Amino acid sequence: MKPLMLHGHERPITQIKYNREGDLLFSSAKDHIPNVWYSLNGERLGSFDGHAGAVWCLDVNWESTHLMTGAADNSLKIWDISNGKILASVTTLSTVRACVFSYSANMAAYSTDTQRKQICGINVIDCRISDSFGSYPILQIPIPDYKVTAMQWGPIDETIITGHEKGRICQWDIRMSKKVNEVDGHQGSINDMQMSKDSMMFVTASSDHSAKLFDTESLMHLKTYQTERPVNSAAISPILDHVVLGGGQEASVVTTTSTRVGKFDSRFYHLVFEEEFARVKGHFGPINSLAFHPDGRGYATGGEDGYIRIQSFDPSYFEFNFDF
Amino acid sequence: MRYEEIPDEWTPPDPQPYIEQRDLHYYLLEPDAYDQFVVTCEGGNPVTIWQNTIPHPTKLQERGRWTEKYVQWSPLGTYLATIHHKGVALWGGPTFEQIMRFTHIDVQFIEFSPCENYLVTYSPNALINDQGHLIIWDIRRGEIMRTFEPDSPTVWPTFKWSKDDKYFAKIGQDVLSIYETPSFGLLDKKSVKLMGIRDFAWSPTDNILAYWVSEMKDVPARVVLMEVPSRTEIRANNIFNVCDAKIHWQKSGDYLCVKVDRYTRCKREKGENKYINMYYNFEIFHLREKNIPVDSVEIKEPIHAFAWEPVGLTFAVIHGEAANIQVSFYGLKSGHKPVLLKRLDKRQCNTLFWSPAGQFIVLADLRNNGTLEFVDASDGTVMNTSEHFRVSDVEWDPTGRYVVTATSNWKSKDDLGYWIWTFQGRILSRNNLQKFWGLQWRPRPPTLLTAEQQKEIKKNLKKYSPQFESKDRMRLTRASKDLIEKRAAAMKKFEEYRQRTRAVWDQQKGKRLELRNNVDTDTLDSDTHNMEEEYQDRGLSSTVQISTKCPTYVVLPT
Repeated sequence: MKPLMLHGHERPITQIKYNREGDLLFSSAKDHIPNVWYSLNGERLGSFDGHAGAVWCLDVNWESTHLMTGAADNSLKIWDISNGKILASVTTLSTVRACVFSYSANMAAYSTDTQRKQICGINVIDCRISDSFGSYPILQIPIPDYKVTAMQWGPIDETIITGHEKGRICQWDIRMSKKVNEVDGHQGSINDMQMSKDSMMFVTASSDHSAKLFDTESLMHLKTYQTERPVNSAAISPILDHVVLGGGQEASVVTTTSTRVGKFDSRFYHLVFEEEFARVKGHFGPINSLAFHPDGRGYATGGEDGYIRIQSFDPSYFEFNFDF
Repeated sequence: MRYEEIPDEWTPPDPQPYIEQRDLHYYLLEPDAYDQFVVTCEGGNPVTIWQNTIPHPTKLQERGRWTEKYVQWSPLGTYLATIHHKGVALWGGPTFEQIMRFTHIDVQFIEFSPCENYLVTYSPNALINDQGHLIIWDIRRGEIMRTFEPDSPTVWPTFKWSKDDKYFAKIGQDVLSIYETPSFGLLDKKSVKLMGIRDFAWSPTDNILAYWVSEMKDVPARVVLMEVPSRTEIRANNIFNVCDAKIHWQKSGDYLCVKVDRYTRCKREKGENKYINMYYNFEIFHLREKNIPVDSVEIKEPIHAFAWEPVGLTFAVIHGEAANIQVSFYGLKSGHKPVLLKRLDKRQCNTLFWSPAGQFIVLADLRNNGTLEFVDASDGTVMNTSEHFRVSDVEWDPTGRYVVTATSNWKSKDDLGYWIWTFQGRILSRNNLQKFWGLQWRPRPPTLLTAEQQKEIKKNLKKYSPQFESKDRMRLTRASKDLIEKRAAAMKKFEEYRQRTRAVWDQQKGKRLELRNNVDTDTLDSDTHNMEEEYQDRGLSSTVQISTKCPTYVVLPT
């Protein structure tokens, strides 16, 4: 594998995402300025200058026209990808922690943190209201107990799945605006949730050192991928039965002696057998976010060290098979 | 009070019901000689006993809160002792039933006598309940034989036992107190007065003990072998310029090595002795030869570790400055001086772990990286070099076939667990347990075979090995078949699940098209029209606001 190392951020990477076709890679970091890169050669295409705080989350719509970012400056912004201009800015009462476009991108959901006197909330905006870009939520759900730490839309604009502190996973029906299902999926915070290509399953990454696979419809627990360190991000391969996990010892408790202690490798597991079969080294801090290329022939990682690494797989990766 | 109401007429006591003794040695009858080990997790929750079967260990017993402090096997492996706030319990037999209980509030340390007749327990707070600090129990009867009140903070184990449980001794200020069983009184009713006695150790095979006394003015330091119960000095060796000594008995009792730390000059500084130009002697006593001749090996470099080969005539030493740590193997022969057999240069290790069967040794670095070297000491070849990061313990199984390296919670907070290796350094399994406390192999009593019988078996190994090899092969085939079956079953179940979700997905196709303006995005190339646009878009990048900072990317070699 020949990694591309992108050094366009000065602070830890918070989230990375490919667009639907996979030619572009978007990245956000604690340094206020999200970037967009050509995934093929690692060249930076542009940046999105406008936030005044750490950017915690981002999402790109299916047509690759709009980018949505949520930040600690209490705002959610929607950008025109073609020219880097702000189309809309939603002012919130606390940090935006997670944001996602729905399948149609007619709607978007974001969560706000529990902060000072504010309690965490899930908000849905309608992106079709063109002038203000739906800056007033059409739906607001307060979450008084465990705050939302990760979020995804269900397959067809009907449901939202949220991952919370202490490992709770909830399913919300947007049409009825109520909670329809909840499970205690993990023992620690859910740091990331990513859908399978068909959105029928999703994988959660948790501080309890494991990642788990769930059924989107029923929230039924399907598989567990166990490690020895907090898992910050996990993704499902769009073409093979593989899952990749990234994480490592928390930056605040990492000893300075050796990167081996932290275990900052990306770790590949078989989706069904739950067995680890490969590790990729590289980062010298925990991996905060990772994503498969939509063609499944590579993946990218963003780390606490501020680097993004784009890896394309060797032929041996595709030749490797488990006996069964 | 008890004696106030003695009935006038004597009635014979009721006969006690007969309790059948459980078979405490069943585990020795295991046809494949699989060994057992106990794994303790935090707070004794759980304590698990495993049998090291091939290819995967089998769980024999698992109990939550089996102990409140720790567990310990008895020296011959008959009992498992669990240490609780209220005392000690012994377990044994095929189902690990409770055999005996010893109430000693707040017990901290326990020590078995070598033949498992007696148990010594120590509690720092026992006086609350009018119990002694140190109690010696008879294991089979569960009765207190004697209690002791140590006069000063003691080192554990306080008592050292002779190999046959007949005597036990403890060291005091200028005295050595030897007690005898079963009377538990002082041998000859008095302690042995030995000015400046520093340490002693019993021979593992004879009732001989070795002690050393430190140097005083013009009287040299002495290493003495004393026979018990006669208390005769059978050999004494005088050495000058000694600041410390360590007594190492060879397991078969044929040799004794005393490592002596010596100096060329000594300065008094701030009330402390400061030794200059240290060097080290290994004084080897040949116990089985007439008059017990003593040889000496001198090493000028700092010594990091010393270990006798448990069977055989070799000892290993780690020595040298930090830049070049060396491991030396010395061989003995009756009537000859020790010969240097092999020296390994520039090693990373600080501890030696001999196989209980001899010949093989693990050189481990328990301080830094956890480097492990598996060495065949007969010719000094390194069979394998590996590492177990943050390793804290290395434990050979009692037969010398397997080695366990473990990281316990006293050493680190993460990466706890144990790894099992073959004696050649091939990894068999890595077991990560988040709350791992420790692992102990169940000891075995000494073999009943005579030396000739063992020799005979060794001679005919070629005859036996094909049987075992074919047995092993069968087990491995079965195991890989099991694994494949397990995977196939998991895959089948998952495929069934996937078919169900696939049906749902197919059903939602219309809905999906509707939500994305009738553009089919189900596969990457199903939306060809859009793809073309994307490629053209690349040429338009000049319209995009480019950051003033130059993009930097690095292509790394693979």
